[in-house]
Amino acid sequence: MTAAHPTRIEPSIFHRLAMHSPDPENRLWTGIREKSMMKLNSTGFPHRKIEEWRFTDLKPITRTEFSGMDKAGIKPAAGIEQYFIPESDRSRLVFINGRFYENFSSIGGLGKGVTVGNLRNYPKSKIVQDYLNKLVNYEGDIFTAYNGLMFEDGAFIHLEKGAKAEAPVQVLNLYTDSEKPFIANPRMLVVAEEESDVTIIEDHIGLGQNCYMTIPVCEVKVKQKAHIHHVRIQRDSIEAIHMSRPIAYVEKNSEYHSYTITLGAKLSRNEPRVIQEDEEVDFTLDGLVLIDGEQIADTHSVMDHRFSHANSHQLHKVVVNGRAHSIFNGKIFVRRDAQKIDSFQENRNLLLSLDGLVNTKPQLEIFADDVLCSHGATIGNFDPEEVFYLQSRGMTEEKAKEVLTYAFALETIENVKVDSVHKLLVEEVYRYTKANSTPKAKVTVS
Amino acid sequence: MLEIKNLHATVESEGTEILKGVNLTVQKGEIHAIMGPNGSGKSTLAKVVAGHPDYEITGGDILYNGESILELDPDERAHAGIFLAFQYPVEVPGVTNTTLLRESYNTIAASRGREELDPLEFDDYIKEKLDLVEMNPDFLGRSVNTGFSGGEKKRNEIFQMAVLQPALSLLDETDSGLDIDALRIVADGINKLHGNEDAVVLITHYQRLLNYIVPDFVHVMIGGRIAKSGGKELALELEEKGYDWLESLATVNGEAK
Amino acid sequence: MSETKALESMISEEYKYGFTTDVEYEDFPIGINEDVVRLISEKKNEPEWMTEFRLKAYRAWTEMEEPSWFNAVYEKPKFDKLQFYSAPKNTPKLNSLDEVDPNIRETYEKLGIPLEEQKMLAGVAVDAVFDSVSIFTTFKEKLAEAGVIFCSISEAVKDHPELVKKYMGSVVPARDNFYAALNSAVFSDGSFCYVPKDTICPMELSTYFRINNMNSGQFERTLIIAEENSHVSYLEGCTAPMYDEHQLHAAVVELIALDNAEIKYSTIQNWYSGDEDGRGGIYNFVTKRGACRGKNSKISWTQLETGSAVTLKYPSVILQGDDSVGEFYSVAVTNKRQQADTGTKMIHLGKNTKSTIISKGISAGNSNNSYRGEVKFSKKADNARNYSQCDSMLIGQTCGAHTFPYIESSNPTGKVEHEATTSRVGEEQIFYLQQRGISEQDAISLIVNGFCKEVLKELPMEFAVEANKLLGIKLEGSVG
Repeated sequence: MTAAHPTRIEPSIFHRLAMHSPDPENRLWTGIREKSMMKLNSTGFPHRKIEEWRFTDLKPITRTEFSGMDKAGIKPAAGIEQYFIPESDRSRLVFINGRFYENFSSIGGLGKGVTVGNLRNYPKSKIVQDYLNKLVNYEGDIFTAYNGLMFEDGAFIHLEKGAKAEAPVQVLNLYTDSEKPFIANPRMLVVAEEESDVTIIEDHIGLGQNCYMTIPVCEVKVKQKAHIHHVRIQRDSIEAIHMSRPIAYVEKNSEYHSYTITLGAKLSRNEPRVIQEDEEVDFTLDGLVLIDGEQIADTHSVMDHRFSHANSHQLHKVVVNGRAHSIFNGKIFVRRDAQKIDSFQENRNLLLSLDGLVNTKPQLEIFADDVLCSHGATIGNFDPEEVFYLQSRGMTEEKAKEVLTYAFALETIENVKVDSVHKLLVEEVYRYTKANSTPKAKVTVS
Repeated sequence: MLEIKNLHATVESEGTEILKGVNLTVQKGEIHAIMGPNGSGKSTLAKVVAGHPDYEITGGDILYNGESILELDPDERAHAGIFLAFQYPVEVPGVTNTTLLRESYNTIAASRGREELDPLEFDDYIKEKLDLVEMNPDFLGRSVNTGFSGGEKKRNEIFQMAVLQPALSLLDETDSGLDIDALRIVADGINKLHGNEDAVVLITHYQRLLNYIVPDFVHVMIGGRIAKSGGKELALELEEKGYDWLESLATVNGEAK
Repeated sequence: MSETKALESMISEEYKYGFTTDVEYEDFPIGINEDVVRLISEKKNEPEWMTEFRLKAYRAWTEMEEPSWFNAVYEKPKFDKLQFYSAPKNTPKLNSLDEVDPNIRETYEKLGIPLEEQKMLAGVAVDAVFDSVSIFTTFKEKLAEAGVIFCSISEAVKDHPELVKKYMGSVVPARDNFYAALNSAVFSDGSFCYVPKDTICPMELSTYFRINNMNSGQFERTLIIAEENSHVSYLEGCTAPMYDEHQLHAAVVELIALDNAEIKYSTIQNWYSGDEDGRGGIYNFVTKRGACRGKNSKISWTQLETGSAVTLKYPSVILQGDDSVGEFYSVAVTNKRQQADTGTKMIHLGKNTKSTIISKGISAGNSNNSYRGEVKFSKKADNARNYSQCDSMLIGQTCGAHTFPYIESSNPTGKVEHEATTSRVGEEQIFYLQQRGISEQDAISLIVNGFCKEVLKELPMEFAVEANKLLGIKLEGSVG
């Protein structure tokens, strides 16, 4: 796990691919590359004997032969305009397979003090130098190491002191169809200076049905009194692997609210982290997971309370159907002397099918006595009383279950402030519930 | 019975002075009402008399039956017969009302040389007190104030007062949050409990409680001092004129001293 | 923060059971190997099959690694320096209490466990285990009249081999884990209880464990079998003297409940916890597991854990029989440098199985208190239900409370609900109670007691009194 003991590192897919790419010209930040290379060399590929990976089946990765981008036979993207959200008409960054496409992007409409663009175009920026790859804090994680070594482009969002973005920023990540599986390394750096305010819509969309792996690494710094509203939508291809690592540092009187919606990918592992850097902060780490078929969706989150006076909230809702498997581990840390913490965590799982599986482990680690922390977890099917009630009002059983699933899922996306995104998510929820109103195997609830 | 002399008190953690020289004398058999706008120090006065640890006494004295009680712990003051009906009664999960009251009753009884009651005797004793505030006996087995409505909590305070029979009762906004029926029940209870040997200090924001409990004296607190004292008619005057006309008076007094 | 001090002083009240008893011990080699295992078996005059059971376990143990996944840091026991068997001299088969070493008898008197039957609390039979050996079992004859077998496990091996052979290791196999394997190899004694069909055990059964010898580990083994339609309640108490060295206690407890049977197992664990700096104290590494084999059977664990330097203990229930019920009620108090990692596993295999977990952790001083639990619904566990409530209370700024609940379900007809909270003794609560005339110390007692109430009410009366004393709390309500 640590660099001090690089004993017996089994060479993995990452070690092999790292040997012959990327081309040297893309090594814009030598320091980052070197550090990432060192980390990669000292880090093993995870397996189920490691507590953090105990329940996650990594076969979709280990049994896939990934190719370098140049050899994967990547097909061109078409019809991508349909994924543009109207509110971000002039505040959109488009990345295809992790590479920036200026012709699809549009960045004029954000107002004074807001910088949005491709990371690669800001090599001299002090902000970039100060923060890029400095905020990533994932001990023993090979995925962040690989991204650090391989990313080429990335979204850069900077708000000067007091700047309020006039429109939500859409960071659109598209993945194209390909002959062979490839790995994309999207990257994002968001720095919101004092009293600034921005809404970010981070979207991941698979254009084909192909297998690829994406490793989005996102670093966020929320300075004093700044606000960030961060919506993350994962609509990857049904064969894809999605390994995201979004981390946010929150300063005094700041707010960071994040909502992650997981719909796609065969295997996804989302590791959101929020780290408190001063007193008086407010943050949210909500999630909605709707899975079916052979999907595995894993969320391992950390809410790290290091100072007094924080309000934190995490509602993680999951619907499982088919042979899908959901994993949740939500860690809440309250460090010594971090008093007056009000932290709430709830993981609710709706298990619809006989072949589905849910593992959950909410986790509290508290070292301060004047705190109010609670967590809850439930796994279950519909409440028969609720189904009966709706049936008695004239609905069929299927319809009743559809309505209940819809209501269950909807709660998590109520807080998404951008209208078209909210509408889009409602449609996604509706599509899922419609398709899943009858369980994939016959279940009788008594 | 109670003599407060030029009392100054600050919030211990912040050092903000809340009481800025309070003088008040209460004799046996009397009912006093203390009124005043929000933040004037009424509730602080009650808590300080009961010995709340958040406040530091920076000047003056509180004499109870002629002796200073400043050095006494809150439980010792309770043993001496001082009772505070809390503005916001505290929840104590897992501890039933009966347990609390029996522990309280017996420690107070022991310290005053009265006879302690065994559980059966105690049961009989408290059942009769329940009627006074028209409470359901079920409530005895419930955890102290846990899951109670605002009105139930306030009634519970008066019920405790009935059981513990204090010599000096400080009722801190016991009327707030009560509907008219509950207000009547609580007021009746207080009237029945009050006699020649005890004293009651009502802290209230509104005059309406005083329609049911007639005070012998009314004091108006403003800016951490008693700005004006008078008879029951003062309450009506306040109802009519508000507190503004007294606030200028308080400032003048404040500077005069 | 004077209430913190008051509470700490209440919890850290002087350990009253820290005295030692002057007893002459039999000689026994230090360390462990196959010969030592054979020698233990020989000392106990065991039949061949028992010796084989031990040797197999020993071999398995040598291939296992000491676990390290739990939330505790400590110096690993030095197995080559440990004495694996410790028996006071003069302990041939005793026919009457008069033959018990007077020093040992006095020890139990001091602990408040008189062995003379007429002095016993009515209705409690006691098996007294001193270091590795069962000293005396009371009320044997009376129990025998009802058909209940209650004796030391050594006697059971000789007198009831068919039962021991059938059930020992059937719930906790020798290879189950590192310490269970070690116990299976070297266990010295413990209690055995068999309740026949259609029998309600006429009295509470109890074992009182005492570690005396400084260098010995204690490895006792308990086996309780409740046949169809039977019922038994079993209590266990533990104390040890104060030494500067750590002592190892690695017990195995197996419970088997057949159709409609019910076993209630209660523990008050008050092993010596070590001093302020973490010197000395017991390592309490115990495997406790019950199998609800029969339909509609029930196993209920209640524990009050206050002692030991390090506790790793997860009394569990395997719910095999349809409609079976598992319960776990726990209060764990840690102070000084104590580390407790305790909880339960509820493994639902049968249909309509139900489990309840109520855990209350109180941490003070420099201690760490962890709840670790696993609830698992298998595919066949239709309509299974679990409810878990895990609450922590922290006192002071240098302790920690941790909650690690593992929950897994692969059955859509099941329902799991888990809740956890962290709270403190509030200053306003203390002031409120003080205003009602209750002293600060008593106010804190009342609040802590209220916090643990749901668990304490599960303890049998005889233990509730001891629990009350142990928590230093005036118990409220009907108890006490």
